[in-house]
Amino acid sequence: MLHLRHSRFTSYKISHGLYMNSSLLFFVLLCLTLFSYWFGVQRALKTVGGAEHKKNLVCLPEQFGLLTAMVCGLPALITLLIFNSAEQLVIEQLLISTLPANIQSLSSIDLGLYLNNIRAIASSETAQSLLISINESNDLIQQVQLKAALELQELNYNASWLKTGLVLIIVCVSVTMLVRKFSITFQARQKSETIVRALLVASSAIAILTTVGIIVSVLFESIYFFKSVPISDFMFGTQWSPQTAMRSDQVGGSGSFGAVPLFAGTMLITFIAMLLAVPVGLMIAIYLSQYANSRLRAFAKPMLEILAGIPTVVYGFFAALTVAPVIRNLGESIGLSVASESALAAGLVMGTMIIPFVSSLSEDAISAVPTALKEASLGMGATKSETVTKVLLPAALPGIVGAILLAISRAIGETMIVVMAAGMAANLTANPLDSVTTVTVQIVTLLTGDQEFDSPKTLAAFALGLMLFITTLGLNILALKVVRKYREQYD
Amino acid sequence: MIKTPQTQQETAMPTITEKVTQSLKKRHQKERRFKRIGLFAVLFGFMLVIVLITDITSKALPAFHQHWVKLEIDYNNAWLNVSSTADESLNKANYRKVLKKSVYEMFSSSDKKLNRKAKRQLFKLFSTNAEFTVKDTLIANPEYFNKKTAVWVRLDDDVDSYLKEDFAVGDAGLRISKQQALWLEKLSSEQRIERRFNFSFFTASDSREPELAGIKGALMGTLLTMFVTLLLSFPLGVAGALYLEEFAPKNKLTDLIEININNLAAVPSIVFGLLGLAVIINVFGLPRSAPLVGGIVLTLMTLPTIIIASRAAIKAVPPSLREAALGLGASKMQVTFSHVLPQAMPGIITGAIIGVAQALGETAPLLMIGMVAFIVDVPSSIVDSATVLPVQIFLWADSPERAFLAKTSAAILVLLALLLVINVSATVLRSKFEKK
Amino acid sequence: MKSTLTKTFTKTVICLSVSAVALITTVANAQGGSRDTITAVGSSTVYPFSTVVAERFGKSTNFKTPKIESTGTGGGMKLFCASNAIDTPDLSNASRRMKKSEFDMCVKNGVTSITEVLVGYDGIVVANSNKSKTMKITRKELFLALAKEVPAKNGSEVLVANPYKLWSDINPTLPANKIEVLGPPPTSGTRDAFAELVLEGGCKKFAWIKAIKKQNKSKYKEICHSVREDHAYIEAGENDNLIVQKLTANPKAFGIFGFSFLDQNSDALQGSIIDGQSPSFEAIADGSYPVSRPLYFYVKNAHVNKVPGILEFLKEFTSEAAMGEDGYLTDKGLIPLGEEKLASVRENVLSLTPLALK
Repeated sequence: MLHLRHSRFTSYKISHGLYMNSSLLFFVLLCLTLFSYWFGVQRALKTVGGAEHKKNLVCLPEQFGLLTAMVCGLPALITLLIFNSAEQLVIEQLLISTLPANIQSLSSIDLGLYLNNIRAIASSETAQSLLISINESNDLIQQVQLKAALELQELNYNASWLKTGLVLIIVCVSVTMLVRKFSITFQARQKSETIVRALLVASSAIAILTTVGIIVSVLFESIYFFKSVPISDFMFGTQWSPQTAMRSDQVGGSGSFGAVPLFAGTMLITFIAMLLAVPVGLMIAIYLSQYANSRLRAFAKPMLEILAGIPTVVYGFFAALTVAPVIRNLGESIGLSVASESALAAGLVMGTMIIPFVSSLSEDAISAVPTALKEASLGMGATKSETVTKVLLPAALPGIVGAILLAISRAIGETMIVVMAAGMAANLTANPLDSVTTVTVQIVTLLTGDQEFDSPKTLAAFALGLMLFITTLGLNILALKVVRKYREQYD
Repeated sequence: MIKTPQTQQETAMPTITEKVTQSLKKRHQKERRFKRIGLFAVLFGFMLVIVLITDITSKALPAFHQHWVKLEIDYNNAWLNVSSTADESLNKANYRKVLKKSVYEMFSSSDKKLNRKAKRQLFKLFSTNAEFTVKDTLIANPEYFNKKTAVWVRLDDDVDSYLKEDFAVGDAGLRISKQQALWLEKLSSEQRIERRFNFSFFTASDSREPELAGIKGALMGTLLTMFVTLLLSFPLGVAGALYLEEFAPKNKLTDLIEININNLAAVPSIVFGLLGLAVIINVFGLPRSAPLVGGIVLTLMTLPTIIIASRAAIKAVPPSLREAALGLGASKMQVTFSHVLPQAMPGIITGAIIGVAQALGETAPLLMIGMVAFIVDVPSSIVDSATVLPVQIFLWADSPERAFLAKTSAAILVLLALLLVINVSATVLRSKFEKK
Repeated sequence: MKSTLTKTFTKTVICLSVSAVALITTVANAQGGSRDTITAVGSSTVYPFSTVVAERFGKSTNFKTPKIESTGTGGGMKLFCASNAIDTPDLSNASRRMKKSEFDMCVKNGVTSITEVLVGYDGIVVANSNKSKTMKITRKELFLALAKEVPAKNGSEVLVANPYKLWSDINPTLPANKIEVLGPPPTSGTRDAFAELVLEGGCKKFAWIKAIKKQNKSKYKEICHSVREDHAYIEAGENDNLIVQKLTANPKAFGIFGFSFLDQNSDALQGSIIDGQSPSFEAIADGSYPVSRPLYFYVKNAHVNKVPGILEFLKEFTSEAAMGEDGYLTDKGLIPLGEEKLASVRENVLSLTPLALK
C-alpha cells in the first residue's frame, strides 16, 4: 500500500514535473560553462581590485575565464559521458532486482526479451494510465509487468535528476576550488594551455587509433583464417571456390582458397587501366603545363576535377551498362568472343577515373623541376617537345614514377567499378576480353550475405583485406621513398 | 675539271649550319606532332566527360515524367463492403475490388465480356499503387461514397516505358501485348492519358515498383550521414592538424603519426568497411544500417584528408605573422588560436567541404555495414535504418526492369548535382574569405 | 585581442559541445531502445514476394515497413536460428523447407517455437536469352553438364572429372556452345532445390549410382550434389536480378533461378524445356513440370508480442488479396496454393501453431 502511494506521488511528479533528458542537460552544462567563463574573468579582476588594475595580473583575465570554463566543463562532461554509458546497465540491474524470482531466473535471452517488453510499455504509457491499469487488472503476470514498467519509469526519472545533481555539484565544487586559487601571480594561462594541448594531442592520436584498429581487426580475423587454411595455399593456390557448404548435410564447394586468380585478375584490370591513364594523364599534364594558354587551362582544370569527383558507383554503372555492351558488340562484329563482363570494359573505365590522378600528380612533379633547367635547354635551341622529353621528364621522373605507383595503388583498391562491371568467376587468364574477378569484388561478395564470423568463407574476406592493405601500403611507401630518394639529386 | 679537295670536302660533308637547318624542319614537325598529341589528350579528356554526362542524362530523362490515366471509379458500396462512412471502416474497405470492377466496366462492351486472361492483362496496365490512390481519394472526399467519379491513377512502369519510347507492339523487347496496345489507344483517343512531371521521384522513398520508387529515403539518409561525418571529422581533423603543425615536437612519435595519416589517406575505402564491420558493429554493438555507423566509418575515412588539407592551409600562413605575435608577447596557444587559425580557416573549410564531398560518393564501406537492405521508411534520426544515395544507385542498378534504368540514371544526376553544389560552395566560400 | 579570443573560444566551445551533445545522446539512445520494425532475412527467391507484402503493409497500416534482406536461405536460417535475442531477425524466408539440421540448431539455441508459413509454389528454370534458341534437355544431361564428377563416357562404372566443355559434347542435338551456367551459391535454397530435383534427378538415372544410395547415403549425396568448379558453373551471388541482367548481355549463357523471375522478365528470357516440359504457370501448378518446389517463410514466435505488427503482417501475407489465386503475389509470378490449402495454412499461421520437424 505504501509502495503504491509512493508510486502515485512519483507518477504525479513524472507527469507534471520537469524530465531532465540528456540534451537539456548538455544545454544547461553549456550555459554553465559560458557563465563560468564570465565568472572567472570577474573573479580575476576582483583579485587585483578592479578592471583598472588589469595590468597587474600575470596573464589576461580572459585566460582566467578560459581556465575556469574548462575546469567547469570538462570534468562535468567526462562524468556525464561515464554516467550515460553506465546508466542503462545500472538501471537494468536495479530493475531486475525488483522483479519476482521466477523472472530473474530466466535465461539471459528470455530476460532480454522480457525487459524489452517492459521498456516498450514504459515508453508508451504514462504513469497515470499505468497506475489505473494496475488497479484494474486481475491478471497477476500483467500486474507484475505493469509494476515493473512503472518502476522503470521511476528509475529513469530518478537517474536523470541524479545526473543533473551530480553535474551541478561537480561544476560548483571544481569552479569554487579553482577560483579560490586565483591570485595576482596565478599562472592561469599555462594551465589552460596545457589542457588545450592535451585535447589536441588526443585528436591526433585518433589517426593512430584508426590504423591500429584496422590492423588489429583485419589481422586478428586473418590469423584465425590462416589456422584453417594454410598461408601457402592461400598465396599460391590457383583454385578459388570459397562457397563452402552451409550445413553438415549439404554439399557445397570444395572450399579451396587459392587467391592467385584473384591477384591475376586485379593485375590484369589494373594493367589495362594504367595503359589508358598513364599516357593520357601524362600528356595532359605536359600540355597543360607547357603549352596551353590560360583560357584552355581554365576549361581543362574543371574538367579534370569533374572526372576526379565523379563517385565510383557512377563509373561502375557507366561501365556495366554502356561500355561493356559496346565492347561486346564491337568484338562480336569482328568475330572475337567477348565476355559480357570483360576485363577490358572495367579496365578502361577505371583508367578514365585515374586520369586526373596521374595528370595532377605529374603536373606537380613537372612544375617542381627548377625552371633553370628548362630555360637552359630552350636557350640552347631545343624545341619545346625536345625540352620536355629530354630534360623535364627525366628530371621529373621520380615524381612521375611516384605518381604512377600511387595510381596503381588506387586502381588495386578500387571496389565499385569492378563490383558492377567485372565478373565473379575466378579466372586465371591474360585475355582482356575474358571476365575476371578481383580481390575487392570477392571481399564484397563474401561479406554481403552469410555473416558468421568463424566460417573460413567470411574470414577469407579479411585475409583478402589484409593482402590489399599490405599491398597498397607497400606501394605508397615505395612511392614516397622513390620520390624522396631521387629528388635530392636535382636540388 | 678536277675538283679541288676543298670543294670535294664541301660537297661531301655539309657544314654544321646546314646540318642543323636540315634537321630543323624534322624537329619542328616532331614538335608540332607532340603538341598535337598533347592537345588530343586534353580533348580526349573532355570527350570522356561529355560522353559520360550525356549518356547518363539521356538515360535519366524518361524518369522525370510519368503517365497518368483518368479512370471512372464507381465507389459502389457493394464492392467496398463497408458498414458506415466512418474513417476506420473506410480504411479497411476493399479498394482493389472497386478498382478492378470499375476498370472492367470501362472496357467491356455490352456483348464482349472479358475472359480471365484478358482481365489480368487489363489490370496489369495500372500501377499497383492505383488502389491506394483510389482509397486516398475517397478518404479525402467522403462525399464520393456510392457515387461515380473520375480519378487519376498512375500507369504501370511497362506501359509508361511503352508510351515514352513509342515502341512497336509485340516487339521481342517489350511487354505490351497487342490487346493492351489497343486498349491504350482507346484511352488516349479519349484524352484520358496525361503526362506529368514525376514529383514522386523526390517525395517517395524506395519501392519495388519502378513507377513509385523515389529517392527521398536515400536523400534523408545521405543528409544524416553527412551531418554525422562533418560533425565528427571537422573538429577532430582541425585539432589534429593544429597539433601536428604547431605543437608537435620533432621526434619519432610525431613522424609515426604523420606516416600513419598519409597512409590512411591512401587506404582503399573497403578496408574501412571491414573495420566498421569488425569493430563498430561487432564490438560496440551499434545498430546495422544506421547513419550513425556510416558516419563514423566515413569520418575515419575523411579524417586523413581533412588533416592533410588543414595542414597545408596552416603551413601557408606566413611565419612573419607568427613571429610578430610571439614578439609581442603572445603565447604559442594564443598565436595559434587567435592568428594562425583564423588566417588558415578558408583553406581548412574548403578542405573539409571537399573531404565531405568525397565521402558523399562512397559506397563500398557502407555496403559492408548493412545498408543494402530494402528500406522503405524515411529515416528520422541517426539511429534509424537508412540507406544513402550511392548505395541506392548501386541497388537499383541491378534491377532489370527498364524503368529502373531511368531511375538509376536520374538518381545519379541528383547525386552529381549535390556534389556540384557542395564543390561550388566550397570555391565560393574560399574566394569570399580570401577577399576579406 | 580580447574580442577575437572570446570569439574563437566561444566558437570552439560551441562546436565541441554540439558535437558531443549530438553524438552522446544518440549513442545512449542506440543502446537502450527497443525495436519497432519487423526484420526478415533469407531467400532471394521469396524476397520479391516478401517486399511487395511489406510495402503494402507499410502503406495500409500504421506499422513501420518491415526491413527485408536477401541473404540466401541458408544464410538466413543461420541468422534466424542464432537465438531469440531482440537483435535477431523475426522472419526467415526460405525457398525450400527448413532442414532437420537447421531445426535442431534452432532448438539448441533456444528458438523452440517457430511457425511455418507455406506461401506457394515456384518452379526452377534453366533460362537463357530469348535471342537464342530454346534448349531441350533432360535432367540426366543437366547432371552430366554440371556435376563435378560424372560417369566415364565409355559406360564403365567409374567416376571421372567432368570432361564436357560444350553442350554438344553431351548430346549432339544440344548447341555447340561452351557450357556456361550462372547459378546460386550454397547459401541459396534454390541451389539446394536444384541439387535435389535436377542433379539428383539426373544422377539416379545411372542405375549403379542409384545402388550406392542404399549402401552409403552420404557418398551418394556427394556424387549427385557436387557441382563442377572449373568455371562452367559460375556462382553468381544472391542477387537473381543480376543473373537476369547478365543473361540478356550474354545470349550463350544459361541461368538457374525461380520461375517468378522468368515470369517477370518474359520479354527477354525463355525457359529451357526439361524432360519434355516447358516451364509455364499451368505446368508448374499441376505438377507436370518436374522442377518445382514450395516456398516458405518462418516466424519466430518469441518475437510476436515484442515487435509490433508481426501478427498483422502475417494476416496481410496470408490474406486472399495477397496469396489468393487472384492475389497480387500471383501477379508477381507466384504459383498460388489451392483454396482449401490456403485456408488451412491461414488457420495454422494465425494461431501460431509451432513447427515440429521429425
